[in-house]
Parts: sequence; C-alpha cells; structure tokens
Amino acid sequence: MYYAMSLASTHLSTSKRIRMGEIVVERPIRILVAKPGLDGHDRGALIVAQGLRDAGMEVIYTGLRQTVEQIVQTAIQEDVDCIGLSSLSGAHMALFPAVVNELKQRGIHDVLVIGGGVIPPDDVRQLKALGIAEVFTPGSTISDMANYIRAHVKPKTWDEPFETPSQIDHIGIAVRNMKEALSLYENLLGFTVIHEETIEDQNVHAIFVEVGDVHIELLESTSEDGPIARYLAAKGPGIHHIAYRVQNVEHWIARARQAGYQLIDEAPRSGGQNKRIAFVHPKSTQGVLTEFCELI
Amino acid sequence: MANSKEHKERKEEFTTSSGIPVKRVYDPSFAPTADTYREKLGDPGMYPFTRGVQPTMYRGRLWTMRQYAGFGDAKQTNARFRYLLAQGQTGLSTAFDLPTQIGYDCDHPFARGEVGKVGVSISSLEDMETLFDQIPLDQVSTSMTINAPAAVLLAMYIVVGEKQGVPMEKLSGTIQNDILKEYVARGTYIYPPEASMRLITDIFAFCAKHVPNFNTISISGYHMREAGSTAVQEIAFTLANARAYVDAALSAGLKIDDFAPRLSFFFNAHNHFFEEIAKFRAARRIWAKIMREDYHAQNPKSWQLRFHTQTGGSTLTAQQPDNNIVRVTVQALAAVLGGTQSLHTNSRDEALALPTEESARIALRTQQILAYESGVADTVDPLGGSYYVEALTDEIERQVLVYMDGIQKMGGAVAAVEKGYMQREIQAAAYETQLKIERKEDLVVGVNAFTIESEKEPTLHKIDPHLEVEAQERIRAVRAKRDAKFVQQTLDELRQAANGTDNLMPHMIQAVRAYATLGEICDVLRDVFGEYTPEHF
Repeated sequence: MYYAMSLASTHLSTSKRIRMGEIVVERPIRILVAKPGLDGHDRGALIVAQGLRDAGMEVIYTGLRQTVEQIVQTAIQEDVDCIGLSSLSGAHMALFPAVVNELKQRGIHDVLVIGGGVIPPDDVRQLKALGIAEVFTPGSTISDMANYIRAHVKPKTWDEPFETPSQIDHIGIAVRNMKEALSLYENLLGFTVIHEETIEDQNVHAIFVEVGDVHIELLESTSEDGPIARYLAAKGPGIHHIAYRVQNVEHWIARARQAGYQLIDEAPRSGGQNKRIAFVHPKSTQGVLTEFCELI
Repeated sequence: MANSKEHKERKEEFTTSSGIPVKRVYDPSFAPTADTYREKLGDPGMYPFTRGVQPTMYRGRLWTMRQYAGFGDAKQTNARFRYLLAQGQTGLSTAFDLPTQIGYDCDHPFARGEVGKVGVSISSLEDMETLFDQIPLDQVSTSMTINAPAAVLLAMYIVVGEKQGVPMEKLSGTIQNDILKEYVARGTYIYPPEASMRLITDIFAFCAKHVPNFNTISISGYHMREAGSTAVQEIAFTLANARAYVDAALSAGLKIDDFAPRLSFFFNAHNHFFEEIAKFRAARRIWAKIMREDYHAQNPKSWQLRFHTQTGGSTLTAQQPDNNIVRVTVQALAAVLGGTQSLHTNSRDEALALPTEESARIALRTQQILAYESGVADTVDPLGGSYYVEALTDEIERQVLVYMDGIQKMGGAVAAVEKGYMQREIQAAAYETQLKIERKEDLVVGVNAFTIESEKEPTLHKIDPHLEVEAQERIRAVRAKRDAKFVQQTLDELRQAANGTDNLMPHMIQAVRAYATLGEICDVLRDVFGEYTPEHF
C-alpha cells in the first residue's frame, strides 16, 4: 500500500512538470559573500549577507580566512551570479583582482565581482580598472548594494525543473476557541493531534490534526491583535488559508512574483516542523490566502 | 512625561544606544543617599570603586596616552614609536599585522597581501629587536595587541629585554591575550578553546612568578562593540569572559590573589556620552562585587577593574573625515570622565586607511588638550552624584547582570561562545543598528544627513607594496644563518611540553632565543592542539 502510494506520487510529480511556456521564471539572485585573506572583521559581511537575504536574494557566506582559490571554487559549486568580497585589512589590492583573474582562468565570465571595506579612493579606481565592478566603502547602504546587484547581474533561470505542488499540505482554520474546536476535530471526528506550537511574533497558537496525508491547522489568537484576531474580527471563524506542498519554495516565490501575484513573503521563512514557507496575498489569489510549504 | 501640546518633544521616545529609555529629567530619587553612598559608590579608591580605582585619580597622575601604532616592517614602526615618544606619548601600543596575529611567518602562502598592512610584521626575534631598537624596555611600558600567539610575542619581548640587559622582573606592559573575544568578534584565533585557555593560564602562572609588572591579559569588550554589540552587551560579555579566565586559572591551581591583580580590561568609547561614562562606572562596581563576593579575593587590587579605552572605530565616517576629530573628542572625554587608566584616540582618517602621521598627531593632541586645558582631570569622578549618570549606572548594572546570569546558566562564557550565543546577539544588534541608519531613525552626520556633493580627497597613508617581498627575504636570511640544530632541539622540547602539562613559557623563551620563527613555534602547537574552525549559520 505504502509502496504503491509512493510510486503513484513519484509518477504524479514527474508527469506534472510545469512547462514554462510564455513565462520564463528567473531564479533569485545568488550571491557569495566572501572574506578573502586573514581579516577577521566580519560585521560588514554579516550585515550585507543578512540584508541581501532580506532583499530576496540567496546568500552564501564563506566565513573567515578564505583563499582566492577557495572562494572561486565555492562560487562555481554554488553557481552564483555575484561575488561580494570584503576586506578591512588593506589586503584588497592583492586579493580582489586575484579573484577576478582566477575566475577568468577558469573560463568564467558571467559572475559579477564587487567589493567592500576600508578602501581608499585611489585604490577604488585601480580596483575598478582591474575588473572589480563596484566598491562599497563605509556608509554604503544595503539598498544601494541590492539595487546595484539587481541592475548588473544577468538574470538566470532555474536549472531544476519546476514541479506542480504535489498535494495540499494543510488547511488553516481560524477558531475563536481552541477547546471547542478540538471537541469537533478530536472528539467527534476522531483525528489525532500531531503537533502544537505557539508562534510568538504572530500571536498565534496552532494545533495540527492529521486527516490522512493532509493536516488541519487550527489557529487561535493569543492576543487582541495579530493576524488571526484581525481575521476573526473581519470574517469570523472559518477557513483561513490553504497550504500547498511544493518541492522548492524559492521556485514558487519567484514564479508568483514574476507572474504579478502579490507576495506576503519575499523570501522563505521557517514555518516550524521542518517546513519552509511563503504566503501569497489573498487579494491576488481569488480571496484565498495561499501558502507554499516545503518539507526540509 | 506625556508629550503634551505645550511641551512638545522632538521624539516620542528617547533611548540610549543600548535601548535604555531616557527620561525628560532625573530627580534626587535616582542618586545615592547618605545611607547608600558607601555601598553603591564608595570614595575613589574604595570598594566598590564606582568612582575610580585610585583615591587621587588624575590629580596624582594623568591617564597613560597610549596610541596604538604599527605598520609595515619593524624598522618603520620603530621610527613611529620614537616619534610618538618624542611627541610626549607615555606608553607604547603595538599593532601587529594579521599573519603575525594568526601565527604565520610573512612568507606563508596565507600571508599573501596582508604583510605589514594592519600592523607591524614580526616573524622572528630579529624583527622584535629592530622594533625596540634604542627604546629602553625598563623605561617604557608596552602594550601588545596579540592573542593566539601572545605567549610567543611575550617570549620575544622578554628576550629583547634580556639582550638590553633588562631582567624580566623589570618589564612592564600588557598583552591582550584574550582569546574568547577572538572567537566572538575579532577572528584571530588559532587553536580550539581548551588549548587556548591552557596557554593563557600558563602565561598567568609564569608571569606571577617572573614578570610581576606585566598585565597578563587585557580582557576586551572593544572588538565586540566594534562588531556591533550594545554598551550593555560589551560589559556583560567582557565580564563573562573574565569570569571564564578566572575559573580556568583557579582550575589550573593558581590562587586568586596571585593573578587577579594583573587582570586588565579594554573597553570602547562610543558617541552616547552619558551612557559610556555610566558604563565604565557600572563595570567597575560589578567586577569589584564579583571578585570580592563570588571569588572571595582578599587583596583589594584583585577587586579593581583597571582598563584601557579606545575610541570607537566603527563610529568614524569615511565622509567628511575631519568631523571624526569631533567624534573622537566626545568619546575621549567620556573615557576620561569614566576613569580610564589609559587611552587611545583614533585618527580622523581611519575609515579610509591607516592614519597618516599628521592625523595620528591630532589624535594625540586631542588627549593632551583634554588633559592640560579642559580642567576635567582636576577632580575625581566629577559626574558622581549626577541624577542621570547614577540612574544610568544602576540600569546598566542591572541589565549586565541579567546577561551574565544567562551566560552562567549556559555553562559559562566558553560554552556560550561555542554555542555561538554571543556572536548571534551581537549580529542581531549590529543589523538593527544598520537598519536604523538606513531608515534614518539614527542620523550619522555626513552619511545619511548633512551630506555634501563632492568631497576633497584626503591624503592617506600608503604601505609600500615591496615590503612583503623584503620581509620575506629577511626571514629567509634569518633561517639560513641560525643554528638549525639548536632550533630543532628547542622546538622538540616545546612539542614535548605541549603534549604534557609543563608550563610552555620557558620552552617558548628558549625557542625564541634560538631564533625559531613565530610560524615554526605556532606550527608545533597547531600539530599538538589542532586548529579551531568556527561553525557558520
């Protein structure tokens, strides 16, 4: 039975690859933030990494003390669009152009290389002449960098195939009173509670019950405001959202964004229970709050 | 407090950089009373030292003006040292380049591009002899910003003294030797925590006996603050690290009063003037209580938190760099009013490059103006009893203790560092700061407000690019002319000691005498101890 089911789902997912047709879906920009040399000042690198991630890019951070060869190797492995080099130790003239040269030697020409750190104006000019596209010195903002990168990388499409969501992962139901809700789902219908959590920053207490492969997520507000409280005030209890199980939540964020849907989450966030999730606004999805949900 | 119409205020809420709410006005209920004065403040020089560690403070002797310097090779830095001494500086502070700080000789492949950049390059005793040429080591105190290989550099300093005819008993100075904050913020670690802690306690034990005037550690909040921590986190994490060193020394069998008087601290001075002053006062009070109440130290010197201050590098702007002179002045004044023992004032051009000689001179002059013209050094703790400063001092103490309790519950600072706890806290604070600047909730003059279209480019310090090659030639020459057999013998003995439990200091001194290089000595220990690799998010 189990065997048959898994076969069936494999079959489904392979046969339902989405043909991109007229929409070419660009993947998010992928950037390697790298610390070449021995410099240990990583405040800037870490802030940039987090900031670009919050701006919807995929960011890989190398950590400290990377050789030029290691950085280029990682860039190739991760298929990045851009390398951001950070050095505050004065080694930029030796190390930044060396990264550009190493890329060239390996025949890679489509990776944008930018840099940042304590770098005097004279050196900035020289670095630009040596193939560093832009240099961000102290006082630069994350939005400056994000805009620059977006304007200068060549958009790439996904290598991996898009797959249509394989099933409904769960249905979210807003309830006024969790006890009463459980008497329906647990006592009358006899479903099993499989998970319970409180999401502090959303003021939500959630209980999951299992209905075959699909879960019902009962959502109770823990405060007077917060999304569930507002939903209840506006619409009363009822179906709050539908979550579709997807292979790759970034794919779906990119696809929805590009098709003009209004995203609530520009980047995946943790949904608890080893899930990565993102929501699309109900305004653009026929009134149904829609969630993409990837199992890690 | 409400923002009523007739008393409209600029903002809904005023807070310090640590997020402590600031009231419109403070009243006498915030100041110690005659009953609580002894317990909370005490006279200067008296427990809990809130008002200062000495009874006379700067009326007795001004703070040590100690400008951190070092660049290029030993010869160039020696010249800068002698220049600074001639300008009236009263102590030396050595910046080493990154290969030196991470225990690589200048010809190691990882040293590429880094030789002589952020400090002086030292690969062998010969470089150290050049660095202190014609500087009598019995007359200056020397601070060395060196951590993972601190034992090796201290050994070199001792041998240079020996060659000048100065016995190690007469040497004075400080080694930073604070590895925990390297894992948290500064990044020049070599070995894993346990081995690093052993090196540190070996230094404590050796110096307690043989180098009694050396500060064996400078437990540093500076770099955590530079990495983005708040003022409260700076004190909390530093004192938590300090506890870890005390615990390690006690487990190694040392007696508290044998090493605690030589512990020293290193803090940052940022722009929020009153918070910074209160921070220094709170730190002294907390440490005194910890040492007396928790560790039962008997010697009053063990209770005293003595510290060096450096103005905040991360507050300097690359835009309109002359404005940095003003920032540095405010920060330096906070350090002086907070009772610092020594002070480094940053140069205006440090957001662009290493300082020029002219910029370094203005920075030193800033201290001299405070010391000799402003009158702030003429009475002790002039802000003691200020309703506001006392309220901030109390609140910082309270918040620091909450953090420290949390770290104790995690199993102490070593465990917290290994879990990445401090790193995450600092990163979150740093990111928040950045967002506030980008949203213009925090204004930085010349950066997100009051900018100018085009700026004149300042003249900047340049490092000679040939220096790396010359340094490499020199170290090869040293290796060629020394007694190779003697070197090997001392390195073998060091290895044996590292595998056992012997104090490593005498073995290092012996290896240095044989002109074993920094890289060779550190490699022996890399072999025995392994290397630290951090985990990333």
